[in-house]
Amino acid sequence: MIPTLGHLVVIIGLAATLYAAGVFILGGRSGDAAALASARRAMYAAFGLVAFACVAMVLSLLTHDFSVLYVARNNATTTPPFYSVISLWAALEGSILFWTLLASGWASLVLYRYRARLPALMPWVGATLALGTAFFFAVMAWAGDPFVRVTPIGLEGNGPNALLQNHPFMGLHPPLLYLGYTGMAIPFAFGMAALITRRTDEEWLAVVRRWTLVPWIFLTAGIVAGAWWSYAVLGWGGYWAWDPVENAALLPWLTATAFIHSSMVAERRGTLRTWTHALVIATFVLTLVGTFLTRSGIVNSVHAFTTSGIGAWFASAILVTLSVAVGLLIWRLPDLRDRRPAGGVVSRESAFLFNNVLFLGITFAVLFGTLYPVLVEATTGAKASVGAPWFNRVNAPIFVALLFLAGVGPALPWGGASWATVRERFAVPILSGVGVVVAAWAMGVRDPAPLGMLGLATFVLVVMGDEVVRGARSRARSRGEPTPLAVLRLATRNRRRYGGYLAHVGICVMAVAIAVSATLSSDRTATLGLGESLSIGSYTLTYDKFVTEPLASDPRVIETRAELTVSGPQAGPIATSLRDYPNSSTAIATPVVRTALDEDLYVTLLGYNPTTRAATFRVFVNPLVMWIWTGGAIVALGALFAIWPDRRRVAVEAALAAGT
Amino acid sequence: MTLARPVLPPLPPRGRRWGLLAGVAVVVGVIGYLAFSSVGNALVYYLTPTELLARGPAEVGKTERLGGLVKVGSISGEAPDLSFILTDGITEISVHAAAAPTRSFREGIGAVVEGELRADGVFEATQVIVKHDENYVAPSAGGLPTQAFDPGS
Repeated sequence: MIPTLGHLVVIIGLAATLYAAGVFILGGRSGDAAALASARRAMYAAFGLVAFACVAMVLSLLTHDFSVLYVARNNATTTPPFYSVISLWAALEGSILFWTLLASGWASLVLYRYRARLPALMPWVGATLALGTAFFFAVMAWAGDPFVRVTPIGLEGNGPNALLQNHPFMGLHPPLLYLGYTGMAIPFAFGMAALITRRTDEEWLAVVRRWTLVPWIFLTAGIVAGAWWSYAVLGWGGYWAWDPVENAALLPWLTATAFIHSSMVAERRGTLRTWTHALVIATFVLTLVGTFLTRSGIVNSVHAFTTSGIGAWFASAILVTLSVAVGLLIWRLPDLRDRRPAGGVVSRESAFLFNNVLFLGITFAVLFGTLYPVLVEATTGAKASVGAPWFNRVNAPIFVALLFLAGVGPALPWGGASWATVRERFAVPILSGVGVVVAAWAMGVRDPAPLGMLGLATFVLVVMGDEVVRGARSRARSRGEPTPLAVLRLATRNRRRYGGYLAHVGICVMAVAIAVSATLSSDRTATLGLGESLSIGSYTLTYDKFVTEPLASDPRVIETRAELTVSGPQAGPIATSLRDYPNSSTAIATPVVRTALDEDLYVTLLGYNPTTRAATFRVFVNPLVMWIWTGGAIVALGALFAIWPDRRRVAVEAALAAGT
Repeated sequence: MTLARPVLPPLPPRGRRWGLLAGVAVVVGVIGYLAFSSVGNALVYYLTPTELLARGPAEVGKTERLGGLVKVGSISGEAPDLSFILTDGITEISVHAAAAPTRSFREGIGAVVEGELRADGVFEATQVIVKHDENYVAPSAGGLPTQAFDPGS
């Protein structure tokens, strides 16, 4: 009964979104307010319908209704409730259902917020979002119906993918990532509306900046949470492997970040307007490309593509979106002419320009490295793969150049800088950077990557600190405020600038942590008998106990656990295990991580001999890893600070709205 | 949200554009060089265990690259006497490696090894190249066959 309703709801949702798209277009042409209100209500209804379908799916999972194929494949009677609920996004059909929920949720939120504002743009924004949501409903109706039934009904299901039910992060990382991914449709919709109505002015840019930053925060958090998941679950001691799945998440993030930067120039100087439009389009198309890459199976094998209906749907969506959007952009090029020529080579706008070139360079490299094996297989039939070393070799220098720009850009004036300014602004930061490198060298760091990154991060931080102090001092003098209060007031009055600084601080923290953890970590693999120990760094691990027993939360899972005692900095007992899931031919390692401010102790069980009870352990000592996650959180907080509405601006907007 | 138009500084002279374009061209050139100069070496071709065995005894003694998942529980010993099993979900081949694998080598990961098939059916690897992890590919993807599942059984 419930699944049948779920299926029906998907069909009605498709009708509602198509109706909304049609009426938005008609209303946009005629300006009929009643029609537009009706179209908005249809979109709210579509959101309600897909929310109902998601509830139906979650109920089917919780009640282990194996008449639904998706439930039979991804659930078992013993699956714990938490993992039953999050199985909504553990496999393809459920992900698309969840995706549709988020896409229509974003659409409804935007349409509701701007129901009385931007009357010229909103019908076309609504039409674009409605068509995008309709696409996902159509995929569910034809290619990936989540409510397909099976007969005969089995007594037991297959259970979730073992890797996806081994860690609670699975409840956090996909929703964050999907919120970011689906939210990128909003700037795209505003971009299309601006091109259609020829309103590509500053007002449009301000709205789009804000609505790019909102999903960007989720996307940033989602990528960092994904790296953390990979670190905590997969047991290889690392967090990023340039895997196609990771690259797919990174690509739209790169172009969206480029947009956030270039839109400042567009807003301030009226230049780069075509470019910012192109970036908005590219970001949305890359979310489709990423979905296509990860969901069609094409990366594993070109031949998988033909067997999967979803792939063809997404390929068509990419082609249609790209043709329509690029066509519109070319048609409107005359409207987007730069109002002023570009600034000098050493100026803030040129720093932004190079920032964009570098971001696009990384985007190109990542896309190329991900697709190249696919092209090779398609043209020669041979299977091939591009390894992580290539990605590191190409992208590391570009990231270093970007970080350098993050330090240089904010201190350069618009238009152009004289050498005197450059000397005055950068002498102290450069000396500080060199000082830190020398200090690190004296402390025994010899590897060029951490040394260079420490020096560069110091340079960036000192430039920003200097900017903040400079501004605060002049304010403190003119207003007679104490300096700390002046800093706080300046930050809350210039949220965007100071939020951006905070995000850059987070990037510096991440950059140092990544450089150090990638080059200075150590690991040992050893096979120990009971009572034996191994030493690594300042730690000694003693293997005390070997247990094999069913897991308390899910008795179908057999856990083989090795218990050890750590002596050294993080003394105490730890346990690491291999879990045998009934639906997985390979055991799943459950690594144990002991985190401290300076380094992580990371222990994973590779294998064991059940008769002699000898166990093989792999132990990593990974320095500064927690600062990667912390830095990611700082980046997201900085962006959040930048878009947080402040009282004065809200008052001005309200006054403007009342006046129109 | 612009409350007041910023006062724009005087326009830079036109000649500066060429300086900017030259800078951009240099950056693009460097990125292009980084990407294309090494992609040939980065590309790793491989056969799956099923493909290798399908070629029959003619393969014995030929240098090939073999790719698959490292079967969990199959790693034993350490270089220069490391053994493990590579599987594509259909066929398994035992691998013996003399060379130490890269740091991220572990069980359950996708790996590519270079070497030759011995007459006893063991693949003698001279080099272990770790590929990206195929673990969290969506179950519907077709790179590696997921387990056959019949809800009626």
